Amino acid sequence: MIKLILSRLLQGALVLLIISVLIFWLLTRAGGDAMSMLDDPRGSEETIKKIRSIHGLNRPLMERYRNWLAEAARGDLGHSLVLQAPVWSLIRLPLLRTGMSATVALLIAWSVSLMLGITAARRPGSLVDRLCSVIILLASSTPGLALALLALALIYSTPLISVVGPATNADAGVLSFRVIPPAIILSVPLLGLFLAQTRVAIREALDEEFVRVARARGAPEWMVLLRHALRPAAGPLITVLGLSLGNVMSGSVVVETVMGWPGLGQLTVSAVETRDIPLLLGVTLVAAAAVMAGNLAADILQRLNNPRLRNI
Amino acid sequence: MESENRYRATPGESQSANRKPQFAIRNRLRGRGALLTGAGLLMFFCLIAVLADLLAPYDYSSLSRREPLAPPTTIRFRDAQGQWHARPFIYARRLIDPATQSYEEITDRAYPLELFARGYSYEFLWLFPTDLHLFGTRVEAGDEAPRIYLLGADRFGRDRLSRLLMGSRYSLLIGPIGALLASALGVLIGVAAGYMGGWTDAVLMRGADVMMALPTLVLILAVRATFPPGLPPADAIKLMLIIFVMLGWAEMARLARGLTSELRRREYVVAAVSLGCSPARLIVRHILPGAALPLAARALLILPAFLLAETALSFLGVGLQEPEASWGSLLTAVDGKLFKRGHALAELSPALAIMLFVLGARLLGDGLGKEGREREKIQGFEYIEESKDEKKKEA
Repeated sequence: MIKLILSRLLQGALVLLIISVLIFWLLTRAGGDAMSMLDDPRGSEETIKKIRSIHGLNRPLMERYRNWLAEAARGDLGHSLVLQAPVWSLIRLPLLRTGMSATVALLIAWSVSLMLGITAARRPGSLVDRLCSVIILLASSTPGLALALLALALIYSTPLISVVGPATNADAGVLSFRVIPPAIILSVPLLGLFLAQTRVAIREALDEEFVRVARARGAPEWMVLLRHALRPAAGPLITVLGLSLGNVMSGSVVVETVMGWPGLGQLTVSAVETRDIPLLLGVTLVAAAAVMAGNLAADILQRLNNPRLRNI
Repeated sequence: MESENRYRATPGESQSANRKPQFAIRNRLRGRGALLTGAGLLMFFCLIAVLADLLAPYDYSSLSRREPLAPPTTIRFRDAQGQWHARPFIYARRLIDPATQSYEEITDRAYPLELFARGYSYEFLWLFPTDLHLFGTRVEAGDEAPRIYLLGADRFGRDRLSRLLMGSRYSLLIGPIGALLASALGVLIGVAAGYMGGWTDAVLMRGADVMMALPTLVLILAVRATFPPGLPPADAIKLMLIIFVMLGWAEMARLARGLTSELRRREYVVAAVSLGCSPARLIVRHILPGAALPLAARALLILPAFLLAETALSFLGVGLQEPEASWGSLLTAVDGKLFKRGHALAELSPALAIMLFVLGARLLGDGLGKEGREREKIQGFEYIEESKDEKKKEA
């Protein structure tokens, strides 16, 4: 287990390094920075030059990268060019918010897909089973963008839902009911993925001999399902969970922008719009790191669930 | 259990199938409804994209100041005096309240509709210059007929239907071509990894694992941001394709690698090796044909991701720029007042188009995957698709 964690940490550091090099390298090829977006008629050539030199934008790229890396290694992601604040202080709260909405979305998707999946797996070909097939197809082919737009319009036109409406102000708390609408939208594509996986996994587990033995022993049905079938079925489910974390982060970019949940996704978009490279770099690295941490957690969970994997 | 299948003479075809030759086609189609529906949907969209100019009544970028945010035009057969007409017609409309965008029909004069009406000039199938469009209002000399908006008009009075039709060209160009190129790169990497094995395999597949886990859209945005925001459409398309291919190869690579290392152990491949077959020939003649169906199926299943990425980029304003239209950029007009304006379905039509296209790709992909499994069963092999626990074994 320790070997796994160490190797993943090393790998994660390598990936983050590669991403940062890539973005810095692309900058040399494309040129332009937040200053060229400033476009303020009052700012003379000289002022802009001065601002550039304050932020060190006039130095050679290698030197800038070295400086940035040295600071990033100490946990300082630099200073945002546009929002005039340390990058980490800008990222901290949105990161928590996105973590919150992702967690709620995962919980919703899991609970619904477990309930439906188990019911469907017990009776292949039944009404619930066929309903599940339809849900899987629809949930995985409905674009999150369209759902988010629809939800937004619903929230605006229904007085009842507007209580939990979009959080437009930056001081929306992390623990707020407003997380629910974006989380529901985020959970839809996940539901398609999880439900398909749950149904197959449980169905396969129910065909195993130990389930027949448990039934023969006279174990009640709920115990057969929860104790004997769910545990072996959980393996592939955890794998899917790990793989879907990246998708959740990607999905949150669109959903947060549309529904006005001020999380990491919204921050990414605003950084892209203003070409605030330090902020963008910080957001990208933090998002990647968060997803990789989630993946590691999923792998550890996998080993806790399946003792046979622990010594590999 | 699988080994019993291996020796069965001709499995696959169901007993109920009628074996008479005149039922051959029906038998082939049996149980392939999903596959056919998917293929039909995709073909429908391709046709629309190719014929967009003919189907669109107006130029997608031409503005009309008279009717901003107009609701869909009502096509009438019965006029204000209660008389019925064989030819459908429309009335001109007048904006009565700019704040709520409510319109009133002017019933003084009816404007008949006609098939193959004259409109803006274009080249049909990029070959024949013409100005015929599938439908439109009949224009008489020296007269200005009102425009017909089947899906309403956008903020600038541009015809939403025309924009949707022309937008399908961009969306259907970037998504599928991106998926195709990314698949090609993925297959190349995957086959190389599966064929060479050893540490090449280990490094490439670790890379693919990481790629699959990363938040792709965030990375796409980050890379996109390093380029100037307002790119001309051709450059924007090229840039998007390059970014998609660089970031999207991983899933195909994993599958191709699993298939290659599995197929390499098959007897016919071993026989080819022992006959002195070169690696290139081995891969092209013996491994790739066996892997083609599962690979094609997966390529179709990852296609939606590319289409959705393009949609998201255009929606966020860093994909195609105005006045060019794509399904994503058309959705930027939708906001919280969607239902108050009262033609929500027309406004959400790009989303509906995306949904149907993705549904088609999924149905076709699932169908092809099933086909692959059945063919494997007929040939007597266990299905070769990468097993779910492979990741476990490797870890």
